[in-house]
Order: sequence, then C-alpha cells, then structure tokens
Amino acid sequence: MRHFVIVGILIAILTPLIYLGIAANNVMPIQASVQALPVDWMWDMDAAAIAFLFSIIMVPLLYSLVVFRRRKGDTADGEHMEGNTRLEVTWTVLPLLVVTVFAYLGAYTLGETRIQAPDAMQIAVTAQQWDWRFDYPEGFSSNELHLPVNRQVVLRMQSLDVIHSFWVPEFRIKQDVVPGRTTEYRITPIRVGSYKVRCAEMCGTSHSYMERPVVVSSEAEYEAWVREQAAAAAALLAQGGPESGKALVAQNGCLACHSTDGSALTGPTWRGLFGSTVDLADGSRVTADEAYLAESVLDPGAKVVAGFAPGIMPKFSLTDAEVKDIVAYLETIK
Amino acid sequence: MRKFTKSALFRGLVWQLGGWFVGALILTGIRAVMGLPPFGLFFFSEPAWVFGGFIGVLSFIAGSGIANDWFKWAKGEPTPEHHADPPGWEKYFSVSLDHKVIGIQYTVTSLFLLVVGGSFALVFRTELAEPGMQFLSLQWYNTLMSLHGIGMIIGILLGVAGVMNYLVPMLIGAQDMAFPRMNAFSFWIAVPGVVLLLSSLALGGFDTGWTGYPPLSARGPVGTQMFFLGVFTAGWSSILGGLNLIATTLRLRAKGMTAFRMPILVWAAMATSIITLTATQLIGLSFQLVMFQRLLGMGFFDPAKGGNPVLFQHLFWFYSHPAVYVFVLPGLGVISELLPVFVRKPLYGYRWVAMSSIGIALVGFLVWAHHMFASGMNSYLQVPFMYSTLLVAVPTGVKFFSWVATVWKGKIEMPTPMLFVLGGIVVFLLGGLSGPPNATVATDLHLTDTYFIVGHFHDTIFGGYVFPFFAAIYYWFPKATGRRMNERLGKLHFWLMTPSFLILTLTMMRIGLLGMRRRIADYDPALGLSAYHVVMTICGFLIALSVAIFLFNLIRSIRQGERAEGNIWNSRSPEWQVPSPMPVHNFDREFEVVGEPYDYGLKDSQYTRFITEPREGESHQ
Amino acid sequence: MKHLDMSGAVRQGASIFVFLAVLTGLEFFIAVSMDAIILLGAVALMKVGLVMYYYMHVYKLNAESGEDRHSPEYKTATDRLGLWLFLLSDSFVFGGLAVARFNLLGLTRPHLNQLLGLGVTSVLLLSSFFMNRAESSMAHGDRRGFMTGMLVTLALGLTFVAGVLGIEWPTAIAEGVSPSTGAAGAIFFMMTGMHAFHVVTGLIFLAIVWRNGMRGLYSAERHWAVEAAAVYWHFVDVVWIFFYPALYLVGRLA
Repeated sequence: MRHFVIVGILIAILTPLIYLGIAANNVMPIQASVQALPVDWMWDMDAAAIAFLFSIIMVPLLYSLVVFRRRKGDTADGEHMEGNTRLEVTWTVLPLLVVTVFAYLGAYTLGETRIQAPDAMQIAVTAQQWDWRFDYPEGFSSNELHLPVNRQVVLRMQSLDVIHSFWVPEFRIKQDVVPGRTTEYRITPIRVGSYKVRCAEMCGTSHSYMERPVVVSSEAEYEAWVREQAAAAAALLAQGGPESGKALVAQNGCLACHSTDGSALTGPTWRGLFGSTVDLADGSRVTADEAYLAESVLDPGAKVVAGFAPGIMPKFSLTDAEVKDIVAYLETIK
Repeated sequence: MRKFTKSALFRGLVWQLGGWFVGALILTGIRAVMGLPPFGLFFFSEPAWVFGGFIGVLSFIAGSGIANDWFKWAKGEPTPEHHADPPGWEKYFSVSLDHKVIGIQYTVTSLFLLVVGGSFALVFRTELAEPGMQFLSLQWYNTLMSLHGIGMIIGILLGVAGVMNYLVPMLIGAQDMAFPRMNAFSFWIAVPGVVLLLSSLALGGFDTGWTGYPPLSARGPVGTQMFFLGVFTAGWSSILGGLNLIATTLRLRAKGMTAFRMPILVWAAMATSIITLTATQLIGLSFQLVMFQRLLGMGFFDPAKGGNPVLFQHLFWFYSHPAVYVFVLPGLGVISELLPVFVRKPLYGYRWVAMSSIGIALVGFLVWAHHMFASGMNSYLQVPFMYSTLLVAVPTGVKFFSWVATVWKGKIEMPTPMLFVLGGIVVFLLGGLSGPPNATVATDLHLTDTYFIVGHFHDTIFGGYVFPFFAAIYYWFPKATGRRMNERLGKLHFWLMTPSFLILTLTMMRIGLLGMRRRIADYDPALGLSAYHVVMTICGFLIALSVAIFLFNLIRSIRQGERAEGNIWNSRSPEWQVPSPMPVHNFDREFEVVGEPYDYGLKDSQYTRFITEPREGESHQ
Repeated sequence: MKHLDMSGAVRQGASIFVFLAVLTGLEFFIAVSMDAIILLGAVALMKVGLVMYYYMHVYKLNAESGEDRHSPEYKTATDRLGLWLFLLSDSFVFGGLAVARFNLLGLTRPHLNQLLGLGVTSVLLLSSFFMNRAESSMAHGDRRGFMTGMLVTLALGLTFVAGVLGIEWPTAIAEGVSPSTGAAGAIFFMMTGMHAFHVVTGLIFLAIVWRNGMRGLYSAERHWAVEAAAVYWHFVDVVWIFFYPALYLVGRLA
C-alpha cells in the first residue's frame, strides 16, 4: 500500500510539472490566425493527456527500477502475480472512453477551423515547381500573398505539376495542392506582420526553396497595395513589348525552369535563344524564330528540345498579344 | 576467396548483373527495331533499365540456385528433405534451408542495410548542421534522404524477419519452418531487391522521399524506377516470409502448446505476419501502377488523363501504415518476452498482451488515411479515420500497463538486454504519446509533414524496433554462438545511444512545431533553428559511435566472447533448455508443454517437459 | 475426405457448372435490363461461393490430418494451408485493382465488346468444369479421365488467353480504349493484364502437372500437385467472376 501512495503522489506532482513545462516552452509559433486558436487549444489538451499518461507509466516504472531492484545475493524469484482481469478491463475501458472524448474534441476543433464567413474574399493560388503565384480578384497577380487583417480569405489552390502543400506555420493549417483538382484553404489573419508560405510536400529538387512572403496588413494598407499593383499591372500590359513580356514571364513562373544567364535548369536557357538553331529530341533542327517560340509557349509538347524531358512544362493559356510580348522579351535576352 | 566466388551470393550477384545488362540490351534492340530512340540519359533508355532489372532478378534466382529444388519438382525429380550445409562461415553465403542460418543471414543483411541507411543520414545530417548548401547538391540531398528512408524500412523488415525466423521455430519446438525452401527463397529474393534499390544512386537518384507520391515520382529520373522495382522485389520477401510464419505457427507447435500457452513473441510474430502477408501486396501494386504509368503512359495517377493522384496515397498507405506495426509488433513481443525473465515474475495479463498484438494489427488496417488529412481527400473521411487512429492507443495502452505491472514488485536485474528493453519502453512511450496530436485532425494540420512527425516516428521505430532488436541480439547471441557479448561495451553502447537519441528526437519535435518542414535540404535561417540543428548533428554522430561500439562488440564476441553454453539467463523458454549453440535440428528430443510460459516465482512449475524417448532419428524422409 | 463414387463426383461437378452458367446468364441479363450494382454483386458472390466450396474444396482446410508431423497427410494439409494463404495474399492485389477501378471510373464502364466479354467468360467457366473433372478423376484413380480433363482445361485456358490478349485487346484499342489514352483504358489493361498473367502462370502449372501425370507420378492417394493446380486454376476463375462484371457490366457506358 505504501508503494501505491508514494507512486500516486509522484504522479500527482509530475503531471502538472510536465504540462507546465510544455506550456512554458513556447512550443508553437505565434498565433496569426483565428484558426490557430482551436488548433492550439487542441494541442493544449493533447499536451495535458501526454503529461498525465507519461507520468502514470514512467513513475511506477522508474520507481520499480529503484525500489524493487534485486539486492546483492538475493536469488529468489518475484511474487507470482499472473494478472487481474478487473484491472485489465479497467485499463482497456477507461482509455476507450478518453479516446472517444478526444475524438469528439478533435472533430469539434476541426469544425472550428472550417467555419465560413459570408464575406470571405477569394484569391486563386497556383503552385508549380518551385514557386507560388497569387491571382487577386482585381485582375493582377503577384508572387506575394497580401492579406487584410481580420477578414476571412479563401485560397482556391491549383497545381500545374506535382503535389505541393500550402503551409504558413503562424496560421497553423496546412493543405495540399493537388494537380487536377482545386483545394481550399480558409484562413482569417488576426495579426499584422510578415510571414512566409512554405511548401510542405516534397515536390522535387528545389522543394526547400519554395517559399514566398505572406504579408498581413491593415485593411487600408492592403487596399493601397492592391490599387498600386493593379495600376502597375495594367500599365505594364497596356504598354506591350518586352517589358510587358518580362512581367508576364515573372507572373507565370517561367523562371523556375528557364534561366536567363545560360545555366541549364529543368528547361533550356533563354540566353541567346532567339534566332539560334535548336536541336530537337526527334533529331530534327529548327530555327528559334517568332513562330517556333510562340508555339513552344502555347504547346510545349509540339517540339521538345533534345536533352529535355517532354511533358514537364504545362500548356499556358495566354492571349496572342501576351505571347507576342513574351517573344519580344525573349528577343532581348542575348 | 575461392570459396566465396563459388558461393550462392557471389554467383547470384554476377548473374544478376549479367542478366541486367543482357535484358537491357535486348530491350534496346527491340526499341531500335521499332524505331524508338534506343538510348537515354543513362546510356540505356528507361524501359531498358527496368526490363533489364527485372531480368536481373530472375537471373539472380537462376544463378544462386535458390529455386533449384522447385525446378526439380517441376521436372518430377525427387529432392532430399534436407541439404547438409557447408561447415563454417560458408554456409551463410550459400543457400541453406536451416531456419537458424536464414535467420542470421537476414539479421546480418539487415545490419548492413541499417548501417548504409544510417550513414546516409549522417551525411545529410551534417549538411543540415548549417543553413545553406555546404557540400551536397539538392538532388543528392533528396536522393540520400529518400534512400535513408526506404533503406531503413527494408533493413528493418529484414531484421524483423531475421528475429522471427531464428526464434519462432525454436520457441514452438519445431525442427524448422513449414516451408524451408520458401524460407530460403524469401531471404534471397531480398538481395537482388536491395541491389536494385541501391543502384538508383547511380541512375540519377530519386527525389520523392520514400513515399514516392506521383505525379512527382512519375517524372523523376530513372533512379525512381529502380527504387520502385527494388521495393517490389524485396516485398516478396515479406509476403512469403509472413506466409511461412503463419503456416509454421499453425501447424508445427509442440504437443500441448495451445494458443494461450505460446510464447508471447509468437503471438507478435503472428500478428505481424497477418499484415505482411496481405497488406504488402498493395504497396507492390501501387508501385507497379506508377511504373506502368511511366513506361506505357497509363494514366492511373495522371489528372490530365482522368487519373487520381490521391488514389495512390490510399493504396500506398493501406500497406505503409500497417507496415509500422510490422516494425514494432515483434519488438514489443521481444520486450514482453524478456521482461519476465529479468524481473523474475510472470508476464502480467498474458492473454491481454497477446490479444493486444492482434488488436493493434487489425485496427492498423483501418487507419491508413490519417496520413492524408491534409491531402485533399474527401473531408468526410477525416473524423472516422481520426477515431480509428485514436483507437490504436487502447491496445497499446494495455501493453504499457501490463509491462509496468510486470515490473512492479519484481526482482529486477539489469544486464544489457534488460537495459535495452527498458530503453525501448521509454522511447516507445514517447513515440506513442506524440501520436495523439497527429491523430486529432486540427493539430495534425499543423504537424503533418514537419519535423514533429520525423521525431514522432523515429521514437516509435527506435522504441518499437531498434532498442528491442539490440536487446534481442544481446540476449540470443549466446544461443547462436555459445558465447556472450561483452557486458561493459554493451552498457557503454546503451548509455551513449539512449540520451543522444532522446535529445535528437525531442529536438526534432520542437523544431517541427516551430516551422521546420520535413525533407528539406536547406532551411530559412530566419526561423532561428540553426543551433538546434548543430545539437541534432552532434547527437547523430554520438548514436553512430555507439552503433560502431556495438558492431565491434558483436564481431569480437563471435570468437573471443566469454563462453556461455547453458541457460545463462535462467529462462523458462524451451530454447534455453538445450545447450548453446543450438543443434542443427533444434531439439534432439521433442518436448511437450505442461505449464504456463511465464510462471516465474511459482514453485515446481514447468513450462516444457522433454518427452523422454529420443526422437526416431532421421528415419523419416 | 468424402468418398463419392466417380459418377457422383461427375454429376456434382456438372450440376455446379449448370448453376454457374445460369448465374452468368442472369448476370448478363441484369446488366442489359437494369442498373443494379448490388444485384450484380450478389450474383458474383453466389458464384464465388459455389466455386470455392464445390470446385476449390475450401472445407478441406479443416480436414483432420492426424498427429504425426512426418506423415504425408500432415504435410499435404500444411501445404494446403500455405496455398490458401498465398491466394489470400494474392487476392489483395486484385482487390486493390478493383478499388482503383471504382475510384477512377465510378459507376461508368468503358466501351467494350460485350459478346467477346461473355465469350471469354464462358470459356474460363467451362475450363473450371473440366479442371474439376480432371481432379476428381485423379482422386478416383482414373488416369485417362484425368489426362483428358487436363488437356481440355489447357486448351480452354489457352483459348481464354488468346481471346483476351489476341482479340479483346486489339478490339478495345480500335474502339479507343487503349492503355495510354485515359484512366479507363489504363485500368482495363491493368486488370485484364494482371489476370492474364495469372492465367498464364496457371497454364504453366497445368502443363507441368500434365507432363508429370503422363509419367505416372500421381495416384488416387497422392496427388497434391494436381489439387494445388486445380485450386489455383479455380482461384483465377474466382478473380474473373469479379472482374468480368466490374469491367463489362457494372454502371453506365462512359
């Protein structure tokens, strides 16, 4: 009996110590979204359970190792205890109940993170190896995700190639971006600041660098940024020519695979491409003129350059004017 | 050396390489005739590499002679029941039908793979010590990381097979496995699989992680195909091994050994084998589907052709989650088997512990989609899979509580095997307790694909497999060799490895929560995690050092260890009732079971009793 | 083991075959007249039940094999268990393929030649009947009956493979269901291909047994290899009992 009392006391001491130890350690990043609150609350419940279960097993185990250790010269066997059905049933049924409660809490907190606000703003996200692009409802796109604080946003996410995963640690939630379907990411930022979206699903060579800034600002600052971006984009596109092409190239994430400095990435480099003679995978050769470049943008599989794999580059849907601008830009890269 | 070049291993490998080359040449010729481009980035085209690899596996089977008896059966020729093994070390390189030899072959191959996989981890761990890329390229980092994962997994599967192969027939009083030839085949088929897997290093590597999710794995270099083909080949080892163990346990138990009088490790082996027998087929299938997608453009997982990338994940995890239980159940069985010996008390609640193994295995079939909470699968699946996942905690809890109750009021001794058993319990407890936050969906959305998961599964697998595996080696080494391993080196191994490992995995969990993603070659210095990475790298090297001490101890003790031919652990288990090393056909006299397996502390009780008249020799065919 | 006299065994095999044929016809009739997946599933389960019990003799797993570990009866019983465990394992491959089929295509089916489908199905069913006949002939010591049964089974098996690989595949490709055009073609070729691979291995197995039978290696008492070949062959039929409706009958045309 004495042993049980001591162990009980030790468990009662150790459990809160471990729990407070986890809590005091700032194990989670700052909470920057409404959705982080239920997640962290659930984590807290998990931590409490961990503290208790850890103590209830470790204390009697370590206690036994110290107290019941075989003394020198003792050759006797231990007490013959085969088991106790009532005890076994207890430690089967009690965990079963606890588990059921936790499943309920898990479902409940999951629901909390999914609550939809009627005025949620929509932003389209396009992921591709190894970049993020954000298309705003105002008709421009950017590689930075800007969000107004305290307003729910729904990211409608698509992937052009492989599976990626959208994760901002400060927002807590993570959602894969799967080719061939649109996945949703619903978040309400509550803290002004700069964060980063980091791709969390292995997506190939440069997976570790697939990060882009996420800026949460006040409604007014956000509006100002949107106006500025929309105006700049409109001006650039209206102007036409190589500058506009350069903007389109950046917007569409072409530079993830095509370099402008002569180095070979996933796709051929653009340096000195215009006007050069290109060897194709089928053995033929072609001169890189306007028609060839335009075709290669719109239908990359039509003429594949020798040494590069087909099927990697997606088909881009661009207007003729846009393609013309891009080709004009390619012409300038000597 | 001459002897080695005549061995099945050498001949098999030579034949495999030859078959590989010839197969690739044949397909290259066919492609040339068909007007397809005959050569690819790595000299041969991808289909030629794959076809050649497949022919290589068949050639290995032919060259090593592992299927010769079956060919004779097909021709209607008789074969002897047993083949005498060559004496000395050669038998370990030749095709032996003795389950003890095969068990050791498995174990040594497993140690080899674990050392290779561990070295890969050291390389990229060093790379991670500082932000920025120091000496590895991104592609090499990804390849080593992926190979570390799958290499360790296959290494563990072989280790599990080694422990079960060596022990189960002994523990149930059988002369050998039910199908000795298939047993040999199961081991040997893993060898060409491992060769294929490692060949991916030379063929561009693969950057998909061990999970090989398409579409990424459908576009990587040729190495990805070698990874798939290697795992597929080695998978047969698991499937046939599981089949054999189930048949052996059901058919060849000693007289009087009813289900609830089997040693607990046999229960664990049974639960494990149910999983390997059935679920393994699905990882084989899922990998085959990606291989065919790459070779023939079949669009199973290609959304442009109406395929579904998430389908792969369902098929893949249907095996790969239960696979975790394949790794840990035998280890937990070893813990349950050794605890009573070292505390001199019965295993508390034997029946409950036995049933909990089966329970974990069966519930394990229903939890796979918890790996996919963030994958974009149908969201109505999330809650049921959360509940089934949490249910695993119940039988696992039964095991923990029963262990604690077993230790309670025992007469505890702590030689090296017991230290590893206790270390296993503690580490597995940490792995288990870091599980529920991954199960409750909301928290998992933050934790999945981070270092938290990495820490969590390293804890479960070290606690459930690595620690008990070391315990088993220290404990049964005398059974195999008649000598024991050095106690002081063993304790040094333990006390070096355990704290380093705990610091390593707890740090992993911590930085995962703070934003360290899984599988990245480089990390943002702005996260402020550099100091943690230095600590983890140091811990990694300490673990490597401790394993080096273990290997030194192991190799030295084979010849120079202290002699230990009797029942040195004072165990009730049947294999310790005969002298070590174990005789060729296990027990000279058959025994019958007359009591409970773990009745330590009960006066005059016996587990087994030898049936006095000696067995009728070798008179049977 | 139950001892029927030979004519009893033949009569039983034949009546089971008639049941199976009627059920297959019913299946086809259900498919053309209504959209009833559950009904199709129920019919397939009935067929599988009949094959597993009367052709594969699943109950033999439970047969008494004595105490002596070294007796041939005991070893055969162990072998039988091993074979069934292997079939259990193998059925997970086919189960996985069936899951993939319903995941990818849902309740639609590819454009396939119905007559061909019904044709090859009948051929395979008929081969199971002859396989059963060959096995029970051997069990009654009738070697000539055994050899004839085996030959007919082999011929029908070859016909099935030729039908699927030589006629059905080109026909499907001609109708636009090819491996690389879309998910439907991919899964059709994968399912039929994986099944055909098993049929071919079964044929090799049958050929080996036939050759060894010709050399007189089997007797009424000891013919485990014959039994194993038969059980494996019927298993291949069982798979097709599910795959045929899954590919040809279930759901609406895509």
